[in-house]
Amino acid sequence: MSKRALTFTGLNARSRMIIYISVAVVYLACVFVWGTLLDPSAYAVRFADKFIPPSAGHIFGTDFMGRDMFFRCVRGLSNSLVIGLAASLISSVIALVFGISSAVIGGKFDKAVLMCVDCCMGLPHLVLLILISFMLGRGAKGVMLGVAFTHWPELTRLVRAEVLQLRSSQYVRASYKMGKSRMYVAMRHIFPHVIPVYLVGIVLLFPHAIMHESAVTFLGFGLPAETPAIGVILSEAMRHIATGKWWLALFPGLMLIAAVLLFDVIGENLKRLLNPSSAQE
Amino acid sequence: MKKLICVMALIALMTATLIGCGNNNTEANTPDDTETKSSIAVYVGTTIFDGSLDPVKGSMSYGYSFTNSALIKVNPNSEYAGDMAESWAISEDALKYTFRLRSGLMFSDGTALTAEDVVFTYKTVMDNQAENENVDLSRLAGVRAVDELTVEFTLSEPFSPFLDTTALLGIVPGASYDAEAFEHYPVGSGPWKVIQYDPNQQIIVEPNPYYYEGAPGIERVTLVYMDNDAAIAAARSGQLDVVMVNPNYASESIARMTAIPLETMDVRLISMPVLPVQEKDGITFGNNVTSDIAVRHALTIGIDRETIIQNAFNGIGKPAAGFTSNLIWADSIPVSDNRKDEAKSILEAAGWTDTDGDGIREKDGVACIFDVYAAEDRYVLVAALAEDVAELGIQIVPHSSDWGVITDNMYTSGVIWGWGQYSPTVLYSLFDAEVALTGGWDNVVSYMNPEVDAKIHNAIGAVTQTDAIENWKAAQELANADYPYLYIVNIEHCYFVSDRLDISADTQIPHPHGHGSPIICNMKDWILK
Repeated sequence: MSKRALTFTGLNARSRMIIYISVAVVYLACVFVWGTLLDPSAYAVRFADKFIPPSAGHIFGTDFMGRDMFFRCVRGLSNSLVIGLAASLISSVIALVFGISSAVIGGKFDKAVLMCVDCCMGLPHLVLLILISFMLGRGAKGVMLGVAFTHWPELTRLVRAEVLQLRSSQYVRASYKMGKSRMYVAMRHIFPHVIPVYLVGIVLLFPHAIMHESAVTFLGFGLPAETPAIGVILSEAMRHIATGKWWLALFPGLMLIAAVLLFDVIGENLKRLLNPSSAQE
Repeated sequence: MKKLICVMALIALMTATLIGCGNNNTEANTPDDTETKSSIAVYVGTTIFDGSLDPVKGSMSYGYSFTNSALIKVNPNSEYAGDMAESWAISEDALKYTFRLRSGLMFSDGTALTAEDVVFTYKTVMDNQAENENVDLSRLAGVRAVDELTVEFTLSEPFSPFLDTTALLGIVPGASYDAEAFEHYPVGSGPWKVIQYDPNQQIIVEPNPYYYEGAPGIERVTLVYMDNDAAIAAARSGQLDVVMVNPNYASESIARMTAIPLETMDVRLISMPVLPVQEKDGITFGNNVTSDIAVRHALTIGIDRETIIQNAFNGIGKPAAGFTSNLIWADSIPVSDNRKDEAKSILEAAGWTDTDGDGIREKDGVACIFDVYAAEDRYVLVAALAEDVAELGIQIVPHSSDWGVITDNMYTSGVIWGWGQYSPTVLYSLFDAEVALTGGWDNVVSYMNPEVDAKIHNAIGAVTQTDAIENWKAAQELANADYPYLYIVNIEHCYFVSDRLDISADTQIPHPHGHGSPIICNMKDWILK
């Protein structure tokens, strides 16, 4: 960023980052809360209003059953956020446990974990995800666990690398020499240092989770068609694109991209704020 | 910014890929002498690509084979007429069926079709019954050639729907039958022969020069496989002459093509379990809401079928309260619905009242709510029904699901079914107590009425067609008085047909179940203008 831009806004990089993060968080939190509390009658079937192009009454238009696309999108996105949140949490806990224990215990355990990581990363995410979701009977549970069990390897590797680096540092060695147990070292010395990497990891996992949830649902292996979800909306829209109902795909698609980009913004900025080498900029 | 560009590029790439997928199928390679022949390209859905084309293995699960003619066929008035057979006779005890073949019949390879070929075909199917789920020969005791043109079938017990069986099974040549080759290139006595078969791409057929009515006029037909959207796009660019479409597309306009709805016998009905919830052999059956006949009765007379069809199918289809009048055995009931007040008073009288003011009735603490599962594109019909019944104080919860989920829920919830076939055996599947509570696909509502069973068994064992029909109608009349199924619509199959093509509406038979393929049953009569 040039200096002129800085003086123009009158803020330094750090404050701007915090503003970006706050705006993104507030937007996503609003969508989430609004969608969760939304009265289902707002996007109920109303055949009398089918295929209305975007207008003042229905800003995103209506679909083939006369459902208001705007409210359906909000509700759908909030569903995606719930699934994404749960999936990233499960996934990140797996990553944290595996990452720390693999680095601390080392030896055969480390090898086994690394092998699992390679296995999971070697397979295309989507294929594994479809398999897991299908085996668990689809629906929200299937998608959530599917996303959770396919997204842990990257974060595990990050955490493990961080821990390996810490393990050879002076104060950790000193702690061992002073007779502290492995558990004590892991909890007191290693875990707090992993937190920044871990937090950023979760946030960056989020957009993946949402995208994959939508993708699986779009392909018909995820949420059932009556649930408002971005993937469902987009796959239904596909059927009507040929007849020129552009609004069915455009707005939900933009909302999904916006959500994903915003998470990216949060993650990237958080990384810069928390990373010691760039935090002082 | 870089990220945004990446995302944009990704979208563009995805769009390009999707468009690419659509086009792949249309540009399948065709033999290069297309220009010299009068040819058409036809999209009738993908069901014709599903199974084998070999009649022995049950070719054409929907509609009739275009390569292999059967002994008899159904005519546009839904009556049986001779095809390979010119006449037939049924013995007085209904155990012997004798068919007299036309003389001079030939297969598409130029060899003669004789009674021996008919015997071979039926015997092969009997020996391999497990491979053929469309033709049930379990009651056939024997078949023999009396002379070169006469075939005699002997049944183990009277079975009046047998005549329909002989209309379904195409004849194959005994001398050259090859189970593997016939999979895609069957030799038959029908109007067409396959000259190229590309699985899940296209089937190219040309007239059979030896067809007994004379070879069809159009010199080549390409049956293409593609997605519905891709088919519409291909039709828009003038590459297709017939395109099957979903009713929601019927109001679209395509240059030089006309949308034509065609009559079917295909009805959509919702099964409503008639028993209260109970368990048998580890399977749960029944539903505490639909088990009340008042609810089923109120739904039958209270819903507004016209509006539902308008909403769900763009107005394409006819209201139905039973099987359609184009079936000789159907007890078709005139539709008299949208009697909302009457329906409400039936519910009130049965004790269903809205006590808590939420718009949904309750009785003994049970709310008048039940689930209805819908597969494929039927969800929209259930959603339209759900919107309509809300006024009655009944809540239907529509679910869109695959057949796996439906199988898990079909005994305890409503399911929307599609039925449309010439054979009255469907009534056995829907109503007979023998197939109730068995855990199969039949009689999922667990309907058991000895009077109905008696009529069904009389009909199956009837000696004459008239007697059979009378009993089939009586069975329906009795069963329908208990409303185990909610009939909604007799759908119409909708096609865009090129203005240069005449699909001979006069010789179209009422289409059986299976959107798409039945239109080509009379392809031999089509004319390019």
